[in-house]
Amino acid sequence: MRHLRWLLVPLVVLPLAWLLFAGFGRDPREIASPLIGRPAPEWSLTMLDGEILGTDDLAGRPYVVNFWASWCVPACVDEHPVLAAAHETHGEQVAIIGVLYQDDPADAETFLARYGDAGYAHVDDPSGRLAIDFGVTGPPETFFVDADGVVRDKQFGPLTDELLAQRLSSIVAVAER
Amino acid sequence: MRRQLPGIALGALVALAALAALVAVRPGPEPSAAERGEVLARELRCPDCQGLSVADSPTSSAQEIRRQIDELVAGGASDQAVRDHFVARYGEWILLAPSSPLPWLVPLAVVIAGAAGLVAWLIARGRPAAVAPALTPEQRRSLREEVEALDA
Repeated sequence: MRHLRWLLVPLVVLPLAWLLFAGFGRDPREIASPLIGRPAPEWSLTMLDGEILGTDDLAGRPYVVNFWASWCVPACVDEHPVLAAAHETHGEQVAIIGVLYQDDPADAETFLARYGDAGYAHVDDPSGRLAIDFGVTGPPETFFVDADGVVRDKQFGPLTDELLAQRLSSIVAVAER
Repeated sequence: MRRQLPGIALGALVALAALAALVAVRPGPEPSAAERGEVLARELRCPDCQGLSVADSPTSSAQEIRRQIDELVAGGASDQAVRDHFVARYGEWILLAPSSPLPWLVPLAVVIAGAAGLVAWLIARGRPAAVAPALTPEQRRSLREEVEALDA
């Protein structure tokens, strides 16, 4: 009976310690999106230049939806050049669309003037409906949609060159650099 | 008079239980669309808050979710259909209370197992230790002789 007491440590204490360690070391919002493998939400929104852009215009083309905001500092500032470079390199194959997350279009214009406008489209989502349809909890979050309109991958938090290249490979055959 | 007291108490208890059952079972008025929307908003997590429900948050995401809840309810969606609408976008995370019974049952099972263990331990501890076997007359005699030898 007495030696059984020693079993308490590996059987009870260690799993409990692991559970707490694993549980608190994670952001609970960083969960696998239920959208992956399913058709992307349909939308039609106004771009910063006043034109309308929507899923109909992107039919048959893989695209990246990047939720960002001018107030999302420093994460959105950090990932901005990553997206700009991707647009420069893969813009022919993949459309990149920035979606304003709870932001004023005028502030977004200021942000782009300051950090460089790579030339890809940005749309305003004034009601936040598109952000909810994509299950966004806070910028930056980026979704990767293939040519068939199916969500293939999601990035929670800022993109780096490596992460973007890895996630892009889920929707398009990108040549290795 | 004194004899009647338990009877009176029992009667009162039965009457009270019957009243409670009546109140609990009686169907209330059908909740209005606004009431259903309010209840659902309390069940859903505000996506850009820390642990607040949609009903408790003023953010524009919470407002838009609230608007969508009302729209879905007005369109004839069931409560479960409204929950499913948001779970399809955010996953189970959007529900403040998990829909799986496991998180509720596991702590209960642990408490019951702990109580059972405690009871088993208390019973084992309360039992007297096995009585030493009585001495045989021979041992008794030799013991007495040894004691007497010591006293001498």
